[in-house]
Amino acid sequence: MATVECRSVRKSYGEHEVISDFSLSIEDHEFVVFLGPSGCGKSTILRMVAGLEDITGGDLMIGGRRVNDLDPGDRGIAMVFQNYALYPHMSVRENITFALERAGETKDMIARRLAPVVETLGLQVYLNRKPTELSGGQQQRVAIARAMIKTPEVFLFDEPLSNLDAKLRGHLRVEIARLHKELRSTSIYVTHDQLEAMTLADRIVLMNAGRIEQMGTPEEIYSRPATLFAAGFIGTPGMNFFNLVASGGKLTDGEISIDAPFPLSERPVTVGIRPGAISLVRDGMPGAIPAIADRDEFHGETRLLSLTAGRQSFMVAVPASVRVAEGEQVFVSLAPDQLHLFDTESGARIDA
Amino acid sequence: MSMVPSRNWTNSQDRCDLKGSRRDRGETPLAPVISYLNLGQNVMNRGRSLPVVFLGPALVVLIVLALIPTIYAINISLQNRTLSAPDSDYVWFANYIALFSDARFLNALWVSLKWEVISVSLTMITGIGLGIAMFEAASPRWRNILCFLFIIPVLLPRVCAAFVWKFAVHPLYGSVTWPVRALTGQTPDVLASPNSALFTVAFVDVWQWGLFFAVIVLKLLESLPPQPIEAARIDRIKGWRVHRYITLPMLKLPLISLTLVKAIESLRSFDLVYVMTRGGPGISTETLDMYAYSQGFIEAGRISYASSMAVIMLVISILMFSTIWKRIGT
Repeated sequence: MATVECRSVRKSYGEHEVISDFSLSIEDHEFVVFLGPSGCGKSTILRMVAGLEDITGGDLMIGGRRVNDLDPGDRGIAMVFQNYALYPHMSVRENITFALERAGETKDMIARRLAPVVETLGLQVYLNRKPTELSGGQQQRVAIARAMIKTPEVFLFDEPLSNLDAKLRGHLRVEIARLHKELRSTSIYVTHDQLEAMTLADRIVLMNAGRIEQMGTPEEIYSRPATLFAAGFIGTPGMNFFNLVASGGKLTDGEISIDAPFPLSERPVTVGIRPGAISLVRDGMPGAIPAIADRDEFHGETRLLSLTAGRQSFMVAVPASVRVAEGEQVFVSLAPDQLHLFDTESGARIDA
Repeated sequence: MSMVPSRNWTNSQDRCDLKGSRRDRGETPLAPVISYLNLGQNVMNRGRSLPVVFLGPALVVLIVLALIPTIYAINISLQNRTLSAPDSDYVWFANYIALFSDARFLNALWVSLKWEVISVSLTMITGIGLGIAMFEAASPRWRNILCFLFIIPVLLPRVCAAFVWKFAVHPLYGSVTWPVRALTGQTPDVLASPNSALFTVAFVDVWQWGLFFAVIVLKLLESLPPQPIEAARIDRIKGWRVHRYITLPMLKLPLISLTLVKAIESLRSFDLVYVMTRGGPGISTETLDMYAYSQGFIEAGRISYASSMAVIMLVISILMFSTIWKRIGT
């Protein structure tokens, strides 16, 4: 068990700097998820923590010890890779126990440590098979077992579920959550899948272009996105954005107009609202905005309507029982307490 | 309708047996289906004869160049033909029986075996060692430069390589001998002593093939997925152990293929030995093919005796390689 701390960590390839001044402190037992689009630098940071990439500048501390120059094997970490990275020529058993065997552990000791790990991940029947004879999900289980048996201080997961199909992904996600609950090891998990991030994380580190965009619990990031990027990245279906201008207590684009939730100086603002916070209302309600229905997507429990109001188009989630014909005029109202206001230029959140 | 002209066409050509048999095949139960599918008979016939067209010339060449001489050699090996006499009789297995009491033949067998083991193992060790060294230490730029340099020796015809090194180690004029003499005052003649002669010839072989194999091994290593190597680093496997436990086992099959290729290649190193030592000093580097050659053409002209050696060599190598191949295949 250990803390992980990045102090102004930098990474550059030649002249090209991909990570500049990355600072983050991860508590003992914490499950932190690095979330971000492809190429945002999240995997690079994970690989620097693992010791697979050199650190250009700054300090990396694991358990209070500076580990910048330590070999990956000496950092007390274990890693699960996206494509499993099993040793193809070894059986499942050999894959799991390889590190212990090379470290000179006794046969007895290895058997004693192997048993609970195999038990937890349900790998008994596969022990003598080769990785190529296993499905992707089973291979990733073996990779997790290989990481677990080392009882590392820090678990690193590099998009471990990305190569699996949707159903298996769900299964294994639940399994990883359960393992973390049992083992309580500090974990860093890299993904671009927000569902994985939301369900697994104690804390999400949302990254974009090598910087931390926002850091917080899944609830915090969902309910109070700090930037336009965070607001747009988190949530399915995505948040609606309206480019409006604040003037005289109203937010307007000339055609639609809503009440500002708090006094604002006159300036362009981007208003964000999730599709679920918009409701269909009857004509004549105060603040009702007329809109034309463009498209109707059936999602099972809900129906997602694409609407156009003046120059703005947006999505509204309604119960599946509501039927709206294409081209029909409807009236919507935006829940005032669920509006997110952002500065259009800087993208920063505006609060009262 | 479409069948009529093609049938006329085959009929008009039925002087030729092959074409006649085509017509026969055209009347298989599938014929109506095929014509329905608009596969003209010509197309189908062409499909059937295509393997013959492609394989035929190669098989003819192979029969002329390999099978006929082999049968001829077996035939000669059962006679007592010499270059000096025009006539000969069948002596059946007398040549073979004589071989096994010929100490020089047994020596040649032993030298061939030594040569095979030494040249193959040194080549593989050099190839794998240098390949790993380049993989670990060389930048991409240096890898390119080294690969280019390492391929040059194998491009030389072996006779050229043999002459280059024969001159290089020449006791009086050799470019390798000269600095040794300048430093130690002694004049080594590596090709004149039985032990060093075999190793010197093997060195030239390794210089050609070991360096080339190093390039292949490097490319094989580069083609491996990097993640298992990274996983091994996290598993506290460092330095050469990564290759001992991870990369080389992953490359087991291509490395075995390389070894077999080299083993077959080493069997054919007559030209190298011939140029560098002619089997000398004495008979210390006289391989089987070298001894057969000198029995047949240089010393005695005993063509039949030499042929029986060639046949034995053929049988031994077929047996050895097919058992090795089977062992690996399973």
